[in-house]
Amino acid sequence: MADIKNKKLLIVDDEYELRNMVDGFLRKEGFGRIYQASSCAEALEVCHAVKPDLAILDVMLPDGDGFSLLSNLRQTSNMPVLFLTARGEDEDRLLGLGLGADDYIVKPFLPRELVLRLSSVLRRVYSPPKQEQRPVFQLGNYHIDFESGIVQNDNNQYHLTAKEHALLLKLYNNRNRIVTSDALCQAAWGDDYYGYENTLMVHIRRIREKIEANPSKPKYLLTIRGLGYKLMVKGEK
Amino acid sequence: MEGTLRILKRFIGSTMMISAFLLVFNFILLGVWIFNGMNKGDSPAAIVQNVAEGLHHSSNTYSVDNTTIKLLRESHAWAMLINDSGQVAWNYMLPDEIPKTYSLTEVAKFTQSYLKDYPVFVWEHAEGLVVVGFPKDSFAKYQYILPTNWVSSLPLRVVALLIINIGLALLLSLLIGYRLIRSVRPLAQGIQALGEDKEAFIEPKGILADLAQNVNSAAALLLEKNNSLKERDEARANWIAGISHDIRTPLSMVLGYASDLEENIDIPSEQRRQASIIRKQAEYLRSLVSDLNLVSMLEYEMQPLNIKQIRLSVLARQIASEFLNNELDERFKIEVKISDERIQVNGDERLLKRAIINLVQNSINHNPDGCVIILQTSFNESNRTCSFIVEDNGNGIPQNEIPNLLELPFSSKRKRPNHNGHGLGLPMVERITKAHQGYLILSSEIGKGLKAELVLPFNYVNC
Repeated sequence: MADIKNKKLLIVDDEYELRNMVDGFLRKEGFGRIYQASSCAEALEVCHAVKPDLAILDVMLPDGDGFSLLSNLRQTSNMPVLFLTARGEDEDRLLGLGLGADDYIVKPFLPRELVLRLSSVLRRVYSPPKQEQRPVFQLGNYHIDFESGIVQNDNNQYHLTAKEHALLLKLYNNRNRIVTSDALCQAAWGDDYYGYENTLMVHIRRIREKIEANPSKPKYLLTIRGLGYKLMVKGEK
Repeated sequence: MEGTLRILKRFIGSTMMISAFLLVFNFILLGVWIFNGMNKGDSPAAIVQNVAEGLHHSSNTYSVDNTTIKLLRESHAWAMLINDSGQVAWNYMLPDEIPKTYSLTEVAKFTQSYLKDYPVFVWEHAEGLVVVGFPKDSFAKYQYILPTNWVSSLPLRVVALLIINIGLALLLSLLIGYRLIRSVRPLAQGIQALGEDKEAFIEPKGILADLAQNVNSAAALLLEKNNSLKERDEARANWIAGISHDIRTPLSMVLGYASDLEENIDIPSEQRRQASIIRKQAEYLRSLVSDLNLVSMLEYEMQPLNIKQIRLSVLARQIASEFLNNELDERFKIEVKISDERIQVNGDERLLKRAIINLVQNSINHNPDGCVIILQTSFNESNRTCSFIVEDNGNGIPQNEIPNLLELPFSSKRKRPNHNGHGLGLPMVERITKAHQGYLILSSEIGKGLKAELVLPFNYVNC
């Protein structure tokens, strides 16, 4: 992680105060090497001189727009780029992302959001590729390991099928929140999921048989009538 | 097309009426004006009858009434009585050239025509034949000798003549009418196009060239006005877009620093609470600006729609779950009622979601004491529409205020300023529905809750 904080960041915005604010937030988060530019020309200059690891670009700049600046930068560098702009229309968003930006944040933004998104981009790009760690968690007496797809309690051990695995993972990723049956079907059967509602119920019952002491009176995997399901995981929220 | 046919019909109708009127008028004129003077003064037949009756015979002498004399004098006529033996037994002002005796042949001759160029008329008298002669050239005598079958077939021929005339008038009016319609049709089409706000140009030719020119200039004027109106609308929408854009950067800083202060544990909690208020207000301002921008884009039809097929039931469950997941207060309950899973619309998911979330949020904001909010889908087979209904059992609003709610705040149509909220919510929902070729129905009564129904063109999922 310290690695990420060490990366060189470039902020391009024509508004001095805004640059300063973003600079301040990032420094507070532990980023130390921050460069600023107020125009396209200045940005290209800084890029040449210091070779930043990530750039935050505004779209409206005094001597051009951020989109063409991105195309220019791309000729010499592959660094990740975030747009931070007041242009919130769908077309702008799509244009920016289409040009290869790694994220598109619309002003006004919460500083925390900016920092989180920026960190996630940096991690994705610069962290050594690791095997994605699938979660392991405890549900009452049940120990659920998504890596191996095994549910274990004191006496028994169950294997999750592929669909059960996908459904339970979706529920776990949205734990303590309602997940609509549509979202669950989509997670298990893809976009063309219409018509699987009954199959979903069968799968949910099978999951309950594996993770609930009393499947007909579920404690963890609850039915939210008319909407979907909710996985209650204690200890968080 | 129907219009021109109607014009043709009426044209022919009025032409026939005019023809009939002319015919009648001519008959009247014939009677009153042409035949007038035909029987000027007393007719010769009446005079000769008068003379015959006024001539009395008593013991070889003849006496005549004074009135008869007067009548003869006024007419400058002469008279005589020819007795059975052909002698003139009595006369009055007889010219010298008139013979005094007549043979049967001579009598037969002059009764048919003239006696020495005097037009004469005869009448029967007890003593013979009364003859009255009028000055030369005062009367023309004609004789009509007609075959009986001609006379008897005369009515038939008159009727045939009338029918031929009617037919001819019909034909002529049809011809003239057709030619008129042919020159009017492009004009009619042009004016119709004007009415439908389409481009209209008529080639100016024929008798109505001036009119065509006028229609063309009206069309050009309308086009110009439309364009300038559109330009102005665009300018206004761009202006609002510009403002909402320019507000974002300063708002970023307000939001950024306020939330930074709010999270700063070195600051006393009172100040952090105030920072939190600043942040919340900035967030409200953010939503206001983006609503304003969206409404203005929708109002001027500049909002691009990202259309795809959306199942309403999915949308309903998603929105209900979102509200429940975001810690909806216990006072509120959200229910979902799906009539048919397959109901589907073509729409922009983000916009429709925004509209429905707005409606639900409205119900929450306006019912601080809590209420049940029902999200419902239904469809109407007969007019191929489906509805997404957001209904609550809360306070409701008076019925007469409903139309007001859909007008934009500060527009001239909105009679009263809004009580709470920025007043953009419902107009935005309405415009989103309109952008989807649908419409919004609001119904409410005090104490009976509010029901908002988004009626959208209907599209069944095919399976």
